[in-house]
Amino acid sequence: MIKYLTIIVLSSVLTLQCATAQEALAQVSPASETTNKTHQGKHAAPACADPKPDCAITTYPSFDQKGRLWLAFSVGKSIYVAASSDQGKSFATPVTIATIADGVIDAHGDARPKIIALADGTLLASYTTRPDKLMIGTIYTARSNDGGKSFTLPQAMLTDGGQRFDAYVVSPKGRLYAGWLDKTHAMRAKAEGKEFLGSGVAFAWSDDNGKSFSGKNILMDHACECCRMSSALDRDGQPVFAWRQIFDGEIRDHYVAKLSANGAKLTGGRVSDDDWAINSCPHQGPALAIDRQGSWHVAWFTKGKNRQGLFFASSRDKGKTFSSPEKLGDDTHAPAFATLLATKNKLYRSWKEFDGTITTIPIQTSRDGGKHWTAPEIIAQTADASDNPILVAHDNIAYLSWVTHKEGYRLLPLQAAKDKSASR
Amino acid sequence: MKKSAYRRLSLLRLSLLFFLAIGSLATAAAFDFKPYRRGDFAQIVGAHAGRPLILHYWSVACPACVAELGQWGKLIGERKDIDIIFINTDDEGDRARAVARLEKSSLLEAVHYGFADSFSEKLYYETDKNWRGELPFTALIAPNRPRVTVTGAVTDPAFIAWLASVKP
Repeated sequence: MIKYLTIIVLSSVLTLQCATAQEALAQVSPASETTNKTHQGKHAAPACADPKPDCAITTYPSFDQKGRLWLAFSVGKSIYVAASSDQGKSFATPVTIATIADGVIDAHGDARPKIIALADGTLLASYTTRPDKLMIGTIYTARSNDGGKSFTLPQAMLTDGGQRFDAYVVSPKGRLYAGWLDKTHAMRAKAEGKEFLGSGVAFAWSDDNGKSFSGKNILMDHACECCRMSSALDRDGQPVFAWRQIFDGEIRDHYVAKLSANGAKLTGGRVSDDDWAINSCPHQGPALAIDRQGSWHVAWFTKGKNRQGLFFASSRDKGKTFSSPEKLGDDTHAPAFATLLATKNKLYRSWKEFDGTITTIPIQTSRDGGKHWTAPEIIAQTADASDNPILVAHDNIAYLSWVTHKEGYRLLPLQAAKDKSASR
Repeated sequence: MKKSAYRRLSLLRLSLLFFLAIGSLATAAAFDFKPYRRGDFAQIVGAHAGRPLILHYWSVACPACVAELGQWGKLIGERKDIDIIFINTDDEGDRARAVARLEKSSLLEAVHYGFADSFSEKLYYETDKNWRGELPFTALIAPNRPRVTVTGAVTDPAFIAWLASVKP
């Protein structure tokens, strides 16, 4: 027995020595590359590590019926929800939704924890985790029926396959629709040794405020697997979703479709022929809004053969045809990560620009369903890291929700910007 | 086979499993990505002045990036005339996964940096002011030639053309 233990210990020592040699090899490089480096291999420390929105990399906002702002966010290995009764100036002590022992929380760029404030006061939080060794996710949801004081234990939307990039929308009748990108078919194809591009596009709905979801089904295949989905509600109360689709020839352009009442069919169309034939991950999904007239509005990023940059187009026939793509922003400042919002009478569009030093958030308003827009007006800026902008509305007032490394979280009403633009 | 022989075989198997497990953990723990922060792009380019240089940005959250890591290993073997540097854009939480991918593709001995600066727009801008973070992304730099950046895989025609153009 002692002999075998000796072998084990020697094996461990040898392995560690090999690893040390490997480390040394990994660090072989021109001298100047190692100068002034700590070799810590870690990201810069965040501005703070407290469980509060100011310390988050991404946040997701939702207003409840009483006008309280709810934010979902993660710091470290935990997912939190926090409420503000003074429009984001201060937040109550956050409630922990979950702390994960292993794996990674999807909370970067297009992927982030979410919160949906439902009409009856229920709060639905969602987040996605990825295991350490696989690039697939599991979407979890947790509910609060006591005004956010406590949440149920998170439950997985699905326990097999692999799901990421969830999007939610609530119908006027209170049905909660969910859409997400689903790797189940891709994993099945891989197991059979077959090629499969991208993810499936899956949907489900809940008639009990997120307690359970029915009709879970993949309705289309080959969505770009690394870009978010967006959702909005059409005039007839049915949900519409937008995502980046892989068309023939690995063309990663965009698709928008409405889910039928029985949840079994998608009807829509391609937003534009950008012809971005690329085997890559843009990490930038589309934005979607539907106005009071029922026009579908989409904003997206492409580097296609036919156009490059950030674009906007509208469909007045439920996705059958779209207007000619209109370029957004200043091309010299890499416009990206558009967000759209439709309120009762206005349409808003905003995005992010970077000039090499300052990141700015320009915004435009339209009063005629996207035909004419006010001049872009910069409503916020920062000189360090920042989240993507999100537009959110309550009581017909639009707000920019944005967290930045230096300034922390901010919620900016767009009323002032709107009035200023309108008076010019 | 006698019972004692079975026991010895089982212990040997256990030892082997332990060896493999410890080995894997030790590799992950020992491997360090050099921190890649604002300003580092210019510093790396300066340090390699006079030689063709490739900076390849990749992430485990990018299936296309992971799928072609093996091809990068082949390229390193074939093109000793080019300095090839890998820059992982993942967060700290994904680094163990990144190491596992590199190990699987026999790339651990290459030069590896990892994003260590949350101001990702700045890091993108320093490499290419039109880069918004799409991956894989590769900067191709050679003496007396305009800098080329390529979004997409190593099979991209622009990438292949550049490789041919700097052939010694």
